[in-house]
Amino acid sequence: MSKAELRHDDCRNFIPIDVAKGFCNAKKMNVMIDTPVCGKFEALPKCKNCANFKDATEDNMGKCVGFDDGYWAFADLKAANCEKYEAK
Amino acid sequence: MVKKLADILAEKGLDINFQYGGKAPEEMIDREVKKEPFPRVKKLKDQYYATLSSASLEFPYWYTRKYKELEHEIPVVRRAAALKHAFSHINPTIWPGELIVGGKTYHYRGSFPMPWESEGYYMAKEDELYQSALAKGSASSGELSRFGSGGGNVTKSFGKVTSIAGKFGIRSEEVPALIRCAKEWVGKSVDDLGNKYEKMVPEYDIKEKVMRSLICMFDSGFTLPLGREVINYYYPLQYGFGGLIEMCKERKNEVAGRADGDGVTGMDRLYFYDAAIMVLEGIQAWVKNYSKEAARLAAIEEDPQQKKEYEEIAEIMDWISTNQPRTFREALQMTCMIHFAVLNEDAISGMSPGRVGQVLWPWFEQDMEAGRTDEGQVLELLECHRMKFTLIDCFACTGVVGGVLSGNTFNNLSMGGLTKDGRPACNRLEMLIIEAGMTNQTSQPTLSVLYDEKLPEDFLLKAIECNKTGTGYPAWMNNQNAIQFLTKQYGPEGMDLEEARSFAIGGCLETSPCCWKELTLNGKKYNIPGGAGQPTSVGVHFIANPKVLELVLFNGYDYRMKEQLLPPHNKKLETYEELEETFKEYYEMIVDCLTTCNNIQHDIWRKQNMCLFLSILKPDCLDKGQHIGNLGYRYNGTFNVESCGQITQVNSMVAIKKLVYDDKKYTLEELKDALMNNFGFKTAAEVDSFSLAAQEKKDETGKYDEIHSDCLRAPKYGNDDPYADQVLKDYEDWFCPMCTKYESLYGRNLYSCQISVSTHGPQGAATLASADGRLAGTTYADGSMSAYPGTDKSGPYALFTSATCWDHTQSQNSQMNLKLHPNAVKGLEGSKKLLDLTRAYMRRGGFHIQYNVVDSKVLKDAQEKPENYRELLVRVAGFTQYWVEIGKHIQDEVIARTEYEGV
Repeated sequence: MSKAELRHDDCRNFIPIDVAKGFCNAKKMNVMIDTPVCGKFEALPKCKNCANFKDATEDNMGKCVGFDDGYWAFADLKAANCEKYEAK
Repeated sequence: MVKKLADILAEKGLDINFQYGGKAPEEMIDREVKKEPFPRVKKLKDQYYATLSSASLEFPYWYTRKYKELEHEIPVVRRAAALKHAFSHINPTIWPGELIVGGKTYHYRGSFPMPWESEGYYMAKEDELYQSALAKGSASSGELSRFGSGGGNVTKSFGKVTSIAGKFGIRSEEVPALIRCAKEWVGKSVDDLGNKYEKMVPEYDIKEKVMRSLICMFDSGFTLPLGREVINYYYPLQYGFGGLIEMCKERKNEVAGRADGDGVTGMDRLYFYDAAIMVLEGIQAWVKNYSKEAARLAAIEEDPQQKKEYEEIAEIMDWISTNQPRTFREALQMTCMIHFAVLNEDAISGMSPGRVGQVLWPWFEQDMEAGRTDEGQVLELLECHRMKFTLIDCFACTGVVGGVLSGNTFNNLSMGGLTKDGRPACNRLEMLIIEAGMTNQTSQPTLSVLYDEKLPEDFLLKAIECNKTGTGYPAWMNNQNAIQFLTKQYGPEGMDLEEARSFAIGGCLETSPCCWKELTLNGKKYNIPGGAGQPTSVGVHFIANPKVLELVLFNGYDYRMKEQLLPPHNKKLETYEELEETFKEYYEMIVDCLTTCNNIQHDIWRKQNMCLFLSILKPDCLDKGQHIGNLGYRYNGTFNVESCGQITQVNSMVAIKKLVYDDKKYTLEELKDALMNNFGFKTAAEVDSFSLAAQEKKDETGKYDEIHSDCLRAPKYGNDDPYADQVLKDYEDWFCPMCTKYESLYGRNLYSCQISVSTHGPQGAATLASADGRLAGTTYADGSMSAYPGTDKSGPYALFTSATCWDHTQSQNSQMNLKLHPNAVKGLEGSKKLLDLTRAYMRRGGFHIQYNVVDSKVLKDAQEKPENYRELLVRVAGFTQYWVEIGKHIQDEVIARTEYEGV
């Protein structure tokens, strides 16, 4: 994923407030999600960053092959507590 | 020039902004009592003001995934496994400065849809939602800033945020997954499955019409199947989650394969305990994840104070994930986590924390004695607690969240009342809870005083001081009334006087059955109260009384819907008695069809979607090994019939009685013609507003002026006028016993519940003009004992006499709202007058009263300049809400209420 495509809510330093903004724990200030990220960006575990996320589609959907059920998943699902998460 | 209703009424001396007891000063008068929260809480509160109601899909995704995987498992275990999967996977967020952590989702003001309850309102908008999300381009920072910094409701999509259910924002990236998740539940949700079976009820056709016409506001079975009840924190506070898991494992071994004389549900106990273990393990993992997150933040934090606070949070969360809390802070934190867990388990409005000051007293007392804390620290924690509860959002469809709840969640904290042995139960911690309600004025938790003559003066005056902040809380409930109601309603299930004393308010003002449990802390024993009954948000909710009367007048035909709603009665209504009897017949027909269909919805819910964590919490599920659906609770007769707009209906019947039957000035046909033609006014739809003040005159011939004037001047409830009050008494003496003729799915009788919440707005919007002079589409009188705005001309004591012409202990509640100008209760003398006023109503047998201490001019200014009033709180009907987050028709109704200049 190119840097231009990254959002603040893809970053580990981002503490979410609502669907538009959050608190940047690196810069200690509120940031809007859909504004450019900075050099302190650190990828947050999400399905889209997981090796088990397959068959991604344009509408952010895909398939999770980490579990036996092979269920659908979506790219922006947070996966910090997923036991099957494997960073790409 | 267009003539507005307000001008016409003013000409007739019936000012829509009536003031009693003097005239308010020209200038705006602020509230007398103003206090500030601790700096850290101020920051958290400022953040709240700038936070959008945000929905996310994390919980529904993990829940649905596991549920689908276990297709062949028995329902109770399947649901437990899905809950465990969801709780253990969702991500915790901890915001800097917080002392109390936790929330429903990772958003500050987060919630999520529960498609297993109902997915219809997503699917109906599927194309619109989906296309809206795909069409979104890159976001405009300017647009985002404006929306992101404004009020909490996301009523329109913007940037990469999609508005759903009229209030919540969801990230557009998640919308395709939302649709996919919802589709998984088509035909399987409580809504869909319930509808399949309710159609088998012979009277279903009537029920469907009743719902469509808004005679009834909502189906409780799949919208809000739980709530307006009191939680019980006892078991985790006593045993810790670890202890409870061990207890369930032991019980599981004891009951496995044994019916123990119960051939129907005896064997179910094994599955219940197995399910309980799973749910508890899921919640344990969720609490531990907060500990891990706090530890992660502590590791990277450079500010020493914040680092220390993260470390403390990590330690607290780790401890309470397994053990009984050791300190007041740990106990308070645990109650929050229990509360959020329950709210994540099901769609709930009004999960009241109950008598928290008495539940947490053991820790407060021992911490204070040991010098582990001081009152300043406790106050700061209580302010944080208020923030956490204010952040709670309830996700449901627009009609419910907006139309019924005005976005409120009704987490009512009760104070006062009596102890098990009949002594005053208020304590020093409750004084601090009131103080926190003043220093950190927020909408949640709302506060209620369980008023009893035994309560000490200093406690009562403290509560009055809080009223003077203008927050609308605490509300005042009559303790003795409640005890009488409880022993009558729950006596057959074993409720006695001692147990009845444990009660608290569930939701805005629902008397809810509770019980005492003995808690041991460091060897010392305490009796603490907590919920032991089913929800009271269930049953027949809400019936639009004026609309029923309208159908009586028009032979069952609804001119708004252009449809025959009820079978025509074909009566000539030649006498008032015949009119009254027909009203009762129609009403009972409506209650009957709603009860049977509702029973089916709830039966599906208890079979497929029963609450498990809440069942674990409430006595006596753990003892019996049965969940709520198998009558595990101690008290199960909680389903009720809720009415709305009864004062508008009573005033209308009084006017008909007077003008048509007694004085014979008009024929019924002439009156009906006037009502049909809205007394010569435009329709609310034509004016494009359902607000009282905005209604405009249409007919300039003056054809309906006289009859309108006579209707407006007919005797009105609220003036100690026996002519009007007798109609109310006759109605109550029929209504309360009538409700008990119907039976819930749990085999218990229904009972009367008399509150309006916000339904007097939308249900008023669905109703033609009424014979009291109210115009079509406008709001009804609020509550159940409040006078219609501007019609209580004779002062509060006359209003009280009218309100107490019937026995309030026949009903779960009644509701009286009064609006007072700040000058009316100024100073200590004003406080004492307000307490005297409250006492007077309670002594006459009134159940509930609450006050809006506000200058109506402030409200008008806030309507014009909402940007200046983000923090303004008002009391609506049983709840306190931010002015900017309630609909205009309700705002107008609050403005129009009679303003008392003196008490």
